[in-house]
Amino acid sequence: MRSRAILLHAADNVATALVDLKQGEELHVELDNVAADVVLQEDIPFAHKYALRDIAQGEQVLKYGMPIGKAMRDIRAGEWVHVHNCRSDHWGFHNETYGLKA
Amino acid sequence: MAILGYLRPDGQIGIRNRVAIVYTTHCSLAVAQKIQNLFPENTQLFGYPGGCALREAPLSKIVALGQHSSYAGALVVGLGCEGTEARMVAEKIGESGKPVEAIKINECGGDIETIKQGSRIMVKLLQHASVAERAELTPADLIVGTECGGSDATSGLASNPITGVAGELLVEAGGTYIIEEISELLGCGDVLAARAVTAEVGEEIKTLIAAAERASFEHGRFSWGYGNILGGLTSIDEKSAGCLAKGGNLPLQGILHKFERPPRKGFWIESREPGSGTFHGDPEGINGFAACGAHLAMFTTGCGSTTGGLIPVIKVIANTGRMQLIADNADLDATPVIRGEKTIRQMGEELYQEILAVAAGKLTKSEIYQHYEA
Repeated sequence: MRSRAILLHAADNVATALVDLKQGEELHVELDNVAADVVLQEDIPFAHKYALRDIAQGEQVLKYGMPIGKAMRDIRAGEWVHVHNCRSDHWGFHNETYGLKA
Repeated sequence: MAILGYLRPDGQIGIRNRVAIVYTTHCSLAVAQKIQNLFPENTQLFGYPGGCALREAPLSKIVALGQHSSYAGALVVGLGCEGTEARMVAEKIGESGKPVEAIKINECGGDIETIKQGSRIMVKLLQHASVAERAELTPADLIVGTECGGSDATSGLASNPITGVAGELLVEAGGTYIIEEISELLGCGDVLAARAVTAEVGEEIKTLIAAAERASFEHGRFSWGYGNILGGLTSIDEKSAGCLAKGGNLPLQGILHKFERPPRKGFWIESREPGSGTFHGDPEGINGFAACGAHLAMFTTGCGSTTGGLIPVIKVIANTGRMQLIADNADLDATPVIRGEKTIRQMGEELYQEILAVAAGKLTKSEIYQHYEA
């Protein structure tokens, strides 16, 4: 069966959509004996990310096994993870709004 | 797996067997080009268009390229009054032990006499190349670089991670693997420092990335914008991580400066000084790998760049629409990862096999079309 999302590193707490995904979809990703099944809480566009498990405020979001930003609030499994709830400390962009639910 | 290559006097083993034609200034380019036109088989042309003034970095680059394992010999074509003086360039390339000759347009007496004398040298060099000694090389002898250009979302999700797997397999086999573009690694300093084999290497990569970040601010040029956010990237760290995926999860041996060859096997990052360029864009990066001794390069592209460079280029594309458009130029169709049909590991293994095939003589599309941009 075709995967609709991709897990890039076994340590990651987010997966990335390979197609436009819809709220309510049940998604399965796996890599190196790590698997995660999640029901999407909202639509996730292609190449955007969703949480594989609950991520607490202040926790690092990991993709490629690397920190890409901190959760600005608690994020539930299946939620879209983007600039409205995750920011990097780099370049002082922490407080900018991007017009995307920010 | 043993591959039959070409043994050079300095001990390098090449996977191609060519003669280099090197111009030392823009004034000698036209004549050098005409000489190459007379001998299009197994020759490549490169040089330094800005050669009036003698500048160390570009000079070291064309010398390093001339010493590349692909070349059995070289003809250096100068005008006569440039700082990158042709005999000096020839002498430096000749330190590798291969036959190198220099001619100057001002000494020969114009285009026609230079082309005549240069042609006689080319006949000698091509004949010399044809009897080059053969020697076996293994994956452990290979040096491979990866460039990314015309990147899009599929680069970070598929193409770059696939090259990372291929790079890991090469290093596992004892080989050497290089990436560059430190300005695309902003935010990755701590991650790379943790992967560095010594604390000094870790400090060095952090310092270089911090300097690249400062330069971005000073020049007002950021590799980060609203389009990235619309495309799904949350931070510069995430974008850089997608670029760093070309390096897999390999330990970082060190930083290569000034077109030096890697002093040990393993994974390296090349740092290129401002002003060292002799060309533009991605071919500049690919030829930088060549100057560091790379036998071949992988090149990931999302939008579908068709450029190549002096060494064989394995073009990897994961964008389905672009793949259909430029299938004629693609060497590895990585779209099955984006379609969810194959894993990154599976495609990385295929790519590694392609590296070995190209090392053994399989022509890449960039070679067949002679995308020898330099």
